[in-house]
Amino acid sequence: MAQKTIEEIINSEVILSVEDLVIKFNLRGKELTAIRGASLDLHKGESLAIVGESGSGKSVFNKSFMGLLDANGRIESGSIIYKGQDLSKYKTEDEWIKIRGKEIAMVFQDPMTSLNPLKTVGKQVQESIELHQNLKGEEAKKLAIEILNDVGITEPERRYKQYPHEFSGGMRQRVVIAIAVACNPNILICDEPTTALDVTIQAQILQLLKNLQDKYDLTIIYITHDLGVVANVADRIAVMYAGDIIELGSSEEVFFDPKHPYTWALLSSLPQLGIKGEALYSIKGTPPNLFKEIKGDAFAPRNPHALKIDFVERPPYFEVSPTHKARTWLLDSRSPKVEPPLLIKKMQEMGAKRGDIID
Amino acid sequence: MTSKKIINNMADNIDPSLFEFADYDQSKGELTGYSNYSFWRSTVQVFMKNKVAVALLVLIACVVLFTLVQPYLPGQKSPTQIYNNPETNLQFRNVQPNNEFWFGTNSIGQDLWARIWSGTRTSLFIGVAVGLFEAVVGITIGALWGYVRKLDAIITEIYNVWDNIPTTVVLIILTYIMKPSIPTIIFAMCMTGWLQMARFVRNLIIIIRDREYNLASRCLGTPTSRIITKNLLPYLVSVIMLRMALAIPAAIGNEVFLSYIGMGLPVDIPSLGNLINEGRALMMDPSQRYQLFFPAAVISVVTISFYVIGNVFADSADPRNHV
Amino acid sequence: MKYVLIRLLRSVLTLVIVVTVVFLLMRMMPIEGYFGASFDKLDEAQKTAKLENLGLLDPWYIQLKNFYNDLIKGDFGESITYRPKVAITKILGEKLITSLRFGMASLGISLVVGLSLGVLMARYKGKFWDKLGTCYVVGANAVPVVIYYLLIQVFFTQIFNLPLLYDKTDPKSWILPVFCLSLVNIAYYAMWIRRYMVDELNKDYVRLARAKGLKNKEIMIRHVMRNAFVPMAQYLPASILYTVSGSIYVESLFSIPGTGGLLVTAIQRQDNTLVQALVLLYSSIGIIGLMLGDILMATFDPRIKLGNEGGSR
Repeated sequence: MAQKTIEEIINSEVILSVEDLVIKFNLRGKELTAIRGASLDLHKGESLAIVGESGSGKSVFNKSFMGLLDANGRIESGSIIYKGQDLSKYKTEDEWIKIRGKEIAMVFQDPMTSLNPLKTVGKQVQESIELHQNLKGEEAKKLAIEILNDVGITEPERRYKQYPHEFSGGMRQRVVIAIAVACNPNILICDEPTTALDVTIQAQILQLLKNLQDKYDLTIIYITHDLGVVANVADRIAVMYAGDIIELGSSEEVFFDPKHPYTWALLSSLPQLGIKGEALYSIKGTPPNLFKEIKGDAFAPRNPHALKIDFVERPPYFEVSPTHKARTWLLDSRSPKVEPPLLIKKMQEMGAKRGDIID
Repeated sequence: MTSKKIINNMADNIDPSLFEFADYDQSKGELTGYSNYSFWRSTVQVFMKNKVAVALLVLIACVVLFTLVQPYLPGQKSPTQIYNNPETNLQFRNVQPNNEFWFGTNSIGQDLWARIWSGTRTSLFIGVAVGLFEAVVGITIGALWGYVRKLDAIITEIYNVWDNIPTTVVLIILTYIMKPSIPTIIFAMCMTGWLQMARFVRNLIIIIRDREYNLASRCLGTPTSRIITKNLLPYLVSVIMLRMALAIPAAIGNEVFLSYIGMGLPVDIPSLGNLINEGRALMMDPSQRYQLFFPAAVISVVTISFYVIGNVFADSADPRNHV
Repeated sequence: MKYVLIRLLRSVLTLVIVVTVVFLLMRMMPIEGYFGASFDKLDEAQKTAKLENLGLLDPWYIQLKNFYNDLIKGDFGESITYRPKVAITKILGEKLITSLRFGMASLGISLVVGLSLGVLMARYKGKFWDKLGTCYVVGANAVPVVIYYLLIQVFFTQIFNLPLLYDKTDPKSWILPVFCLSLVNIAYYAMWIRRYMVDELNKDYVRLARAKGLKNKEIMIRHVMRNAFVPMAQYLPASILYTVSGSIYVESLFSIPGTGGLLVTAIQRQDNTLVQALVLLYSSIGIIGLMLGDILMATFDPRIKLGNEGGSR
């Protein structure tokens, strides 16, 4: 499998373009701003990972592409352009029906509850096919069995007739993926696809998604808080914090040359990078209260190296390379030089070595 | 990496002095979090949002207060005294509501206004007594039933037998064996009412019993009684409050039923059931229908209020609704 | 299969205990009931003679044994005081059928109307229909039903010119009793189907169904409704069987010769054999109904296999 280079990706067509998206929720009589002006371009055929801690808004962000926001949520401003249409203006179910499944499909976190317990697995896959691929009856069934086979379910004919409770967690996630793939979508959003699974199964599922991406020509968005998953599959990484994308770059760039202090902190707290005998790094403090208006850089109160301006003015995106940008004042030429933490420096060195080898 | 480009150059003319390190205060980082959650405050908040429930709560509070103070108010008549017309020296039979008798009189000349409040007092007392008893017995038995595995089989058998005896049979036989009176009625209703509460509590406890934190408690040697009262019961608050609130309309309904089949309280004790019965006897005469309507209206207000308040409170006490 | 057998055996045991307990309770009642109005007129000797005649002076275990002996032969015995010396089966036969007719008529209406109302309420949760339906459900559940029955009897007979009492020969006399019986049942079915549907609607699979492009209406029909019916199915057989027990209020208000008030009368008159027969009947209905319900549910829900639910009743 040929991994696409980052240049190939950013030169390919943009299929989904999000601009200055603001999403608000009404909660307990108060207004919560879940997404604060996030922008993102999704390129055809890429695997983009959106990482962030829980509550950073990564799920809400993606749900808004499919009109799946909860009833108390709404898009306040901004645009989501897909095939020339602005999805953020969509209101009625009839409009969304043209997008859901057919254009953008989704795989949810918990396979144990994502399937209807009273319908056979095959029927649930077949439902997608009948909805989106203009096939009925026997033909649809045949294709359903084929797709079940594609997602790695052995004896698909027999399994077709079984109910979800007869499947293990990993197998169920394969079925959920089959349902999404059976819609024949352009974009597949995987919301924490492996979080609920055993570690051994996780790798299989990720490999499966990679294979399916090639076979069905999919663009995949992975939503995850697990940087291990990201390292395995993503071409590009978007780091989300408090409802905004604060750093975006190729996997290499974000892992080996991160610029935003939050990305530093996030990487430093990876257990894999911990040094034996030393306490594992953890980010102090808690994410900001999204009920309040956030001034400046949302991460500033938790950032030991915060500048005064971080509390005053929201940083713009600074371009590090054509593929890498970050939203932090540290990249401004007027800022004092801040050394990244030791661990990050080590990563940078590793990255440099890797770069040498690749070159 | 020297030529960092600002994509968005709205921020060009910023005071350069701002590009200095700020003081780092770790507590500020904590401050921004949103963990100011309190169970009871949220419960009250959610409850208060339901205007209907709040209105009914105020209404029922007024009704209960009024039934308690009504006998001591000036100008109130006795609920049991038979009033005679001083001019004709005959009883004030079936007098339509007027200035003297606000709700009219019944067929033997008693004041319906006084009887209704006295009856409400009686019925509410029965309801509250049954509700409390159900709560105490139901929770105790339910907790033991759910928590102590050894008792499970025995109590389940007792429950199966008791649950299969029609409630009517128990109610009637018990009121028959003991002479009709308020304690008898309370006792009879308690004998049938605790079953449901016990089953609810048991089912909930079985669901929560084996959660990890309880397992941890057990491993640490916490005594059973403490686990039940500290770890399990708080979870049951919403269910218990609901059952207790519903016990009152149910008890009023049962009292009406027992009176209807002629096995309720003696007719000389005013109760809502007896009043309905008296009203029923006269309901085919349009001019006498007030004797049915007034008690019916009071019963409706009381039962609906408790029912709604109980349900809304139970919903409010459910943490899942605390968004 | 073995599970069903064991369950059946346990049920029979429960029945025996229930009947025995009720029998003992009946023995604790004062003896006035055996004589009715004639109690004060008779002297001690006459009373004793009558009691002896009825077989009531035998020790209680002999009476109980006689009852069970006859029962095994399929003989429910004879009424003692209600209609002396008349076979219980004969007394019950017609009454059961009358109650069953009314019950089934109302059950049919209630299922159709109640389930539709509940589905409508779940579909438009929080909107006008839901609120209206909730008002109805609260009213029907909270207030003692007899109040509604009385009001219906007072007003509907006049407004719609309908007969006040049941008359075998007049089909119009069915309308009000069936309406009364349905009033509460509709609320019951509406409330539960709404609750189950709302539960289902919050489940993840509905989210997935929506994400794969099903319309709300299709999700409701293809996924949610079916799943919400399953827990309802458990109580359906019992509801059908219970219709034979009639309604005390409705049958007495409209003077329908059903089983409704029979149990009360039988207890008041201390007709032990009749009470025992009725208690046996009602308890068996409850037990059989629950069992049928479990079987019905197992056929709908592939996750449930009879035999490994571990006494979770």
